[in-house]
Amino acid sequence: MANQATHGKPVSQSKIVRWIDHRLPMFTFMQHELNEYPTPRNLSYWWNFGSLAGITLVIMMTTGIFLAMQYDPNVNDAFNSVERIMRDVPWGWLIRYIHMNGASLFFIVVYIHIFRGLYFGSYKEPRELLWMLGVVILLLMMATAFMGYVLPWGQMSYWGATVITNLFSAFPGVGSDIVTWLWGGFAVGNPTLNRFFSLHYLLPFIIVGVVILHLIALHQHGSNNPLGIDRKGPQDSIPFHPYYTIKDSFGLGVFLIIYALLVFYWPNLLGDPQNYIQANPLQTPPEIVPEWYFLPFYAILRSIPNKLLGVCAMFGSIITLFLVPWLDTSRVRSAFFRPVYKWVFWVLVFDCLVLGWVGAHRPEGIYVIEGRLATIYFYLHFYILMPLIGIFERPLPLPTSIAEAVLKKHPAAPAPASAAMGRH
Amino acid sequence: MRRLALAAAAALAFAMPAFAQDESEPPLPHPSWSFDGIFGTFDRAALQRGFEIYDQVCSNCHSMNLLHYRDLSALGYSEDQIKAIAAQKQTTGGPNDQGEMFQRPAQPADAFVAPYPNEQAARAAHNGALPPDLSLIVKARAGGADYVYGILTGFENPPSGFKMNDGMQYDEFFPGHQIAMPQPLTDDSVTFADGTKATLPQEAHDVTTFLAWAAEPKMEERKETGAKVLLFLLVMTGVLYAAKRKIWADIHGHA
Amino acid sequence: MTDTVQPGPADVHSHEGESRRDFLTLTAGAMAGIGVICTAWPFIDSMQPAQDTLAAGAPIDVDISKVAPGQQIVVLWRSHPVFIAHRTADELKTLQDPKETAQLRDPNSEVLQQPDYAKNWHRSVKPEILVVVGICTHLGCIPEFQPQPGSEGPGWLGGYFCPCHGSRYDLAARVFQGVPAPYNLPVPPHHYLNDTTIRIGEDPPNSTFDLNDVEQI
Repeated sequence: MANQATHGKPVSQSKIVRWIDHRLPMFTFMQHELNEYPTPRNLSYWWNFGSLAGITLVIMMTTGIFLAMQYDPNVNDAFNSVERIMRDVPWGWLIRYIHMNGASLFFIVVYIHIFRGLYFGSYKEPRELLWMLGVVILLLMMATAFMGYVLPWGQMSYWGATVITNLFSAFPGVGSDIVTWLWGGFAVGNPTLNRFFSLHYLLPFIIVGVVILHLIALHQHGSNNPLGIDRKGPQDSIPFHPYYTIKDSFGLGVFLIIYALLVFYWPNLLGDPQNYIQANPLQTPPEIVPEWYFLPFYAILRSIPNKLLGVCAMFGSIITLFLVPWLDTSRVRSAFFRPVYKWVFWVLVFDCLVLGWVGAHRPEGIYVIEGRLATIYFYLHFYILMPLIGIFERPLPLPTSIAEAVLKKHPAAPAPASAAMGRH
Repeated sequence: MRRLALAAAAALAFAMPAFAQDESEPPLPHPSWSFDGIFGTFDRAALQRGFEIYDQVCSNCHSMNLLHYRDLSALGYSEDQIKAIAAQKQTTGGPNDQGEMFQRPAQPADAFVAPYPNEQAARAAHNGALPPDLSLIVKARAGGADYVYGILTGFENPPSGFKMNDGMQYDEFFPGHQIAMPQPLTDDSVTFADGTKATLPQEAHDVTTFLAWAAEPKMEERKETGAKVLLFLLVMTGVLYAAKRKIWADIHGHA
Repeated sequence: MTDTVQPGPADVHSHEGESRRDFLTLTAGAMAGIGVICTAWPFIDSMQPAQDTLAAGAPIDVDISKVAPGQQIVVLWRSHPVFIAHRTADELKTLQDPKETAQLRDPNSEVLQQPDYAKNWHRSVKPEILVVVGICTHLGCIPEFQPQPGSEGPGWLGGYFCPCHGSRYDLAARVFQGVPAPYNLPVPPHHYLNDTTIRIGEDPPNSTFDLNDVEQI
């Protein structure tokens, strides 16, 4: 790898930088990936959520490591060790609340990121693997969050763990053996807590690995854009730095404001008061409710009165995400140009919110039929509507290029200049 | 953008845990708390009165295992006062050189002395019912401080036709209306050291304030830090927005 | 991939626009830097001893009524072993023997290893009772109490011997020359509640001495 950027501009005049770069080309790498990496010029704020997810991951790992310095993973002391962090450890309350609310924000950010992908067709050729790696990250996040919620050893920690691990008994034959193996005992207990702590610490590092693959896949062909059409030439692109570095920074500022509002003023808004009661294996809480980000899946699980089929429906909803690149038959990526699918997308969003709402309530009364209809619609959307709409829909005419579309909206935008040396 | 706001509102609506509140249940009382709101603080005088109530009344049945006597310095008590408060209770010490455990006066470093040595003893003393630990009660109940205040002031005669189980009391706000705890507070249950008139609402207000502090002693620090952090973030985000607009000016075609 | 658009002609940017932009990014960068430092601080500070740990370091009261002359007991205070040794009259005599003190590194306790009320020839409040932190000032092992004359070779008048690297101290816990340990064993803050009870970890009313003030524990 030459020490010079492909523009012919040297990475740096500094001898030290060039000494390092000759041996480990990190500066050339940064130059290429930040300063030169061509990014569509028309990305909207919906494209901020990827970087926000990455930053949230770093925040979670940092706060998690410091919490792990003080946390005691033994069933007799876990709950008290968390309260010790809240009361006696300097700034412990802050680190704990950042970690606790960070989990919620991580899912908010990632869900928006996923829906962005669904709307703009970011999963379509050539980005299928990019999308699937993303679904893997989501699965790892869900496992990590599930195990993390058990660690404070509150009532919801214990009973949520009991209910979800019991799901595996649905598998015919080997089911209950699997559950005993997961528990390391006859019920959720100390062995379970200890292994969940170990795995909760491990999984984020695996997530980092998959994120790196996700970014490599992204950089192969670059970002999608709101129009869903490929970049055709230099007039369609701008360098990532400084345009998207500053835009991402601004987005981070807004994100941190929301984060700070939660952490400092409503830290328990998204949590369950029952988890401030120490786990009691002899007393089931009146309602066992997972954290909000699992509610839609919980609703799907409960919508089918058969244990095994309920489990299959729940896992099936995530497996479905893997298949999206092939379920969508449209030749057009972005819903901007898909007059029918555009509205069907929002029905899906509404459906997911309904599923979440149902998941938060006891499965009785109107919630039963609501949950079943919403689950049916979910599957309908992906397996019937998505393929059929793609075939029969008449998309709007696509612009010839990104630059053309941008110029139509902003006639004052400068005409593309010839490729020159990078901005100083 | 409007769609985003709608979606966000709907998301937030279901994000909060839904405790299916029966429509026929009375709404919780909502007294004004000094610690409410983004600038809330704990009223030190109320905290001290609340602690007196806990110490004289509640601690006979309810433990507060997560609190230590040294924590009471946040209420404004001096070191000597705390030593005296602690020393009034006997706790287990030892083993001594003979290997025996013994009783000794509590010290500031000790946790609040519990009324019973274990859960079984507590249940035995209360017909099988367990008086819950109060360290986190305000955070551990939906409705928080309003709920605790409601319970304490909600004891009344059951409406006609309501069947009470043995040994239970009727409480307006307890789920199911039947609570195993006999009414703990009435007017003049305690005499406050600062001379405040000890009506039931006053007592309930003060002990709930104390319990709210006990559940989260760092609340004031949290809100104070929050104000500084948010101010900083608002300014910085403003600067970042201005920088973004400037940097993007040439792309968007305006200065 | 080398195709990127470069921004428009130079005349779009007045010099003022450029410098305003630089000012903005500089301000943003500076604020972000301050933000990062202010955010890092609570994390680093969280590793300091917590309130309960600090509280566990409260003073302890020790009953010395059963410690016979020539004997020593060891108590734990702040996770440190504290020697309380009852010295006999003969042992006290050796502490002022010029032949003995000539072999000491710091016979007059010049180095700050003790509170002012223990800066004397017996390095304690009451001459018979020595109270020292039993951690060798070399590398932290716990020295052995060897009060018997001759028990650590000829010329040994009694004192402390550290088995790890051979450091020696006399019966006032003063370090000898020619051994690896650099300082006398530290004396913790302490005072007598009555004749038979010592409170370790608390100074008498007119003194403010913290164990952390010493040269080295």
